[in-house]
Amino acid sequence: MIATLFGHDALGTGAAFALSLLIGFGFGFALEQAGFGSSRRLAGIFYFRDMTVLKVMFTAMVTAMLGLQLALSLGIVTADQIYFLPSVYGAQIVGGLIFGVGFVLSSWCPGTAAVGLASGRVDALIFLGGAAAGSALFNELYGIITPLYTWGDSGIRFAWQALGMSAPVFGLIFSSVAVAAFWGAEWIERKTAGTGSYLGTPFLQAFSAAILAAALAVALLPPAPPAGAAASADAPAETRMLEGIEAGADHIEPEELADRLMAGDPTLILVDIRTPGEFKAFHIRGAVNVAAPDLPAFLEPHKNRGTIVLYSNGMTHPAQVRDALARMGFSNAYLLTDGLQGFLNTVLKPASLRSAPLPETQAAQVNAWRAFFGSDAPAAPPGTVAPADVPPLVETIWLQDHLERADLRIIDLRPQPAYNSGHIPGSVRMDPEHFRGSIGGVSSMLLPADMIARHLGLLGITPQTTVILVPSDKLHDATLAAIALERAGHIRFAILDGGWEQWAAENRPVDTRLPSIEATDYPAASNADRFTVDYRTVLAHSQSRTAILLDVRPTDFFSGAKSDEARPGHIPGAINRPLTLDLSTNHAVVRFKPQAELADAYARLIPSKDSPLVVSCRTGHQASQTYFVLRHLLGYRRIQYYDAGWSEWASRPELPIETGTQ
Amino acid sequence: MGPRPHLNPYLAGVLLGLVLLASFLTLGVGLGASAGIARAAASIQSCFMPQHVADSPYFGAWGQDPLRYYLVFMFAGTLLGGLVSAIASRRIQLQIERGPTASRTRRIALAVTGGVLAGFASRLASGCTSGQGLTGGAMLASGSLLFLAAMFAGGYAVAWFVRRQWL
Repeated sequence: MIATLFGHDALGTGAAFALSLLIGFGFGFALEQAGFGSSRRLAGIFYFRDMTVLKVMFTAMVTAMLGLQLALSLGIVTADQIYFLPSVYGAQIVGGLIFGVGFVLSSWCPGTAAVGLASGRVDALIFLGGAAAGSALFNELYGIITPLYTWGDSGIRFAWQALGMSAPVFGLIFSSVAVAAFWGAEWIERKTAGTGSYLGTPFLQAFSAAILAAALAVALLPPAPPAGAAASADAPAETRMLEGIEAGADHIEPEELADRLMAGDPTLILVDIRTPGEFKAFHIRGAVNVAAPDLPAFLEPHKNRGTIVLYSNGMTHPAQVRDALARMGFSNAYLLTDGLQGFLNTVLKPASLRSAPLPETQAAQVNAWRAFFGSDAPAAPPGTVAPADVPPLVETIWLQDHLERADLRIIDLRPQPAYNSGHIPGSVRMDPEHFRGSIGGVSSMLLPADMIARHLGLLGITPQTTVILVPSDKLHDATLAAIALERAGHIRFAILDGGWEQWAAENRPVDTRLPSIEATDYPAASNADRFTVDYRTVLAHSQSRTAILLDVRPTDFFSGAKSDEARPGHIPGAINRPLTLDLSTNHAVVRFKPQAELADAYARLIPSKDSPLVVSCRTGHQASQTYFVLRHLLGYRRIQYYDAGWSEWASRPELPIETGTQ
Repeated sequence: MGPRPHLNPYLAGVLLGLVLLASFLTLGVGLGASAGIARAAASIQSCFMPQHVADSPYFGAWGQDPLRYYLVFMFAGTLLGGLVSAIASRRIQLQIERGPTASRTRRIALAVTGGVLAGFASRLASGCTSGQGLTGGAMLASGSLLFLAAMFAGGYAVAWFVRRQWL
C-alpha cells in the first residue's frame, strides 16, 4: 500500500518540494508536447478550429481517473492518502465563469502560460504578470469577497454521489462521453478547418476501444467489501436488533466512520439528530441534520440499503431513535460509538494531544483525518469541546516543545513595553484588565461572556484552541484571564508555571516580532458562567452561614486596619486567607506552592471538596487566583466567585460589615 | 530545421494523465499552477510592503516565506519541463503570438486583462485549469466538474467578441 506525502502530512518537506519539481517537470513536458506552448492552439477550441484542448484534457482526466479508481479498488492506495478537493459550488461556478472569460481573452491559463513562457511567448509573460496582479487583487478584496469564496461549501462531494451511482459506473459513463467527444471534436475540426485527421482512423478506433475496455474493467472489479456486520435477513426485526446489540454490531466505531466518509462511501448516510443550532455550530463533515420525527420519511429510500449512522452528543438519544427505526423495519441503522464526543476524541484530537503516544502510522492516520474533517473546524459549542489535555499549570520546557502547535495560543499578560522588548515566539499580548469593565456602576467587573468572546475572537482563538497564559510575577493576572475564559465557556487553558520570569531565566527563545493573527468568530456561551454571584447571594450566605466566605485580601485590609474603600472591614462571617500565602518566590520567579502544601492548608479551612465556598477580594482580581487554586489545582467543586467584592460591599451602606480578625 | 510536429493529442493526454496519476500516488495531491503564481505575487508584494502582506488575511496566512510550498516547486518544474520539451522539439521562438489581423497592442491588452481575471478567479475557485479542471475532474469532484463547465460557458460566451484576436 502506498503512503503518500499528503498522508504523512509531509507536503512541506524538502522531499515533497523535490518530488513536486519532478512532477512539475513531467507536467510541463506533457503540456508542451501537446502544443500548449502556443496561445493560438489553446484559443482554437473557442472557435471550433482546433479542438486539441478538449482531446488532451479529456484524455488526461479519463486516464488519471481510471488509474486512481484502479489503485483505490486494488487497495494500492487508500482514500485517506489522497487530498480530495472540496466542492464550494458558488465559488467554483462564479470562479469558473470569470476564469473562462480570462482564458478566452488571454488564450492562456496558468499552467500553459508557464510552458508558453518557456517557449518564448511574450504574451504568456504578460498573462503571468496579469495573473499575479489578479491574485494580489483577490488578496486585497478578500475581506469583502469571503461570503462568495465560501458560498456553497459542501465538503467533499462526488458527481457519482449526486447522481446516486457508484464511482466506477459513473467513470464508465464519463469515459464513454469522452470517446464520443473525441469523435465529435475530430468531426468539428474536419468541418471547420479541414483537419480532424484522426476521424475514423484505426488509431482513434483502437484508442476509443482501449478507453472503454479499461473503464469497463475498472467497473467490473469487485468493490471493496462493505464494512459492518449484516444481520441475517429472515430473522424478525426485534430479534435481529437484540442479536445485533449483543454482538456490538449496532455500533460503528469513529475510525471506521471517518475512513468511510473520507473514501466517499456512497452507501453511507450520516445523520446528526441534534438541534439545528448545534448542527450549525459544528457537525461531522458529510452529516445531514434531520429531526427525529422526520427521520422515518427521510430515511425511507435508504431502508435496508447501505448504512445509516446516527449520532448526537452522547449515545442515549441515538439509541432510542435507532430502536424506534428498528421497529419500523430498518435493520441498517447504526450508532456512532460514544457519539460526537467519541468522534472528537478518537478522530479529531491531534496526535500530540493524546495521552498515549501514537505509533507513526497511526499519527499519520490522525493527521489525514484532521486534514479531511478540519482541524480548524467551525467552533464547537462548549459542551462538545474536550477539555485541554494539558495540566492547569504547564512547564516552560513543555511550552518550548509545543511552540509550533497550531492549536495553541500563548497570551502574554505583561505590560506592552515588556512584551515589545521580547516575548515568547508567537505569543500575543493582552492586558488582563481588558476582560473587565464598569457594569451597573460597579467598576472592575468581568465583562459579559459575549464581550469576552469578542476579545477571544480578535486574538484568533477558537473553542478548540488551547490557551497558555503567561503572567509576569503577578500570577493573579493569569488567573483573572483564566476566569474570564471560563465565563466565555472556554475550557482549554493553562498557566505557564513560573510565568515569563521562569522562561527568561532559562534563556528560552524570545522574539520581538508580532505574530500574524486571523480573527475568528468565537461563539459566546452565555450560560457557561455558573460561578459568579452577586451581593444578594453573598448576603444570604453571610446571614445563614450556608457557605464559607473566603476573603483573600491582605490581613490589614480584612481587619479594617487599612482601607481604600468606602468602609473598612469585611463581610460578616468571612474568613481570611491572603492570596500571597499560596505563592512562593525564588529569584523573582513567583509560582504556586507545591500542591500538597496547598491541599493541606485549605483542608484546614474547608471541611470537604464539596463544601460551598465564595471567594472574594476587593475587585475580584486577587480572588481569581484563589478560585484557580481551589478549582483547578485542588479540585474543589462548589466555588462561587463574588466578582464585585469589597469595593461594592463597602459602598452599599445597607450591607452589614465586620472588623477585626476572627 | 523547423519545429517538430506536435505529439498526437491523445498520446499527449495519456502522458499528462499519467503525470497526474503519479502525483496522486506519490504526493497524494493533484497538479496545480495558479497557486505558484499567487505565491510568487505574495512574495513579490512582500518585498515592497512586507507589513501589508503579513497583515492581509489571505496572503498573510502563507507566513513569512510564501514560496516554501510544494506548488511553487511544481510551477518551477512546469517551466523547466516546458523549456526542455520546447528545446527538444525546436519550438522556442520569441514572439507575441496573435492572429493575422490583430495588433500587438490589442493582443497585449487582452493578455493582461485575461491574466488579471484568470488570476483572480483561480484564487476564488481555489484552482485553475490544472488544479480544479484536470485534478478535480479526474477525481470526479462535483464542484470541479461544475468549474470546468462554467469555465467553458464563460469562455464561449465572450469568444465571439474577441475573435479578431485570432481569426
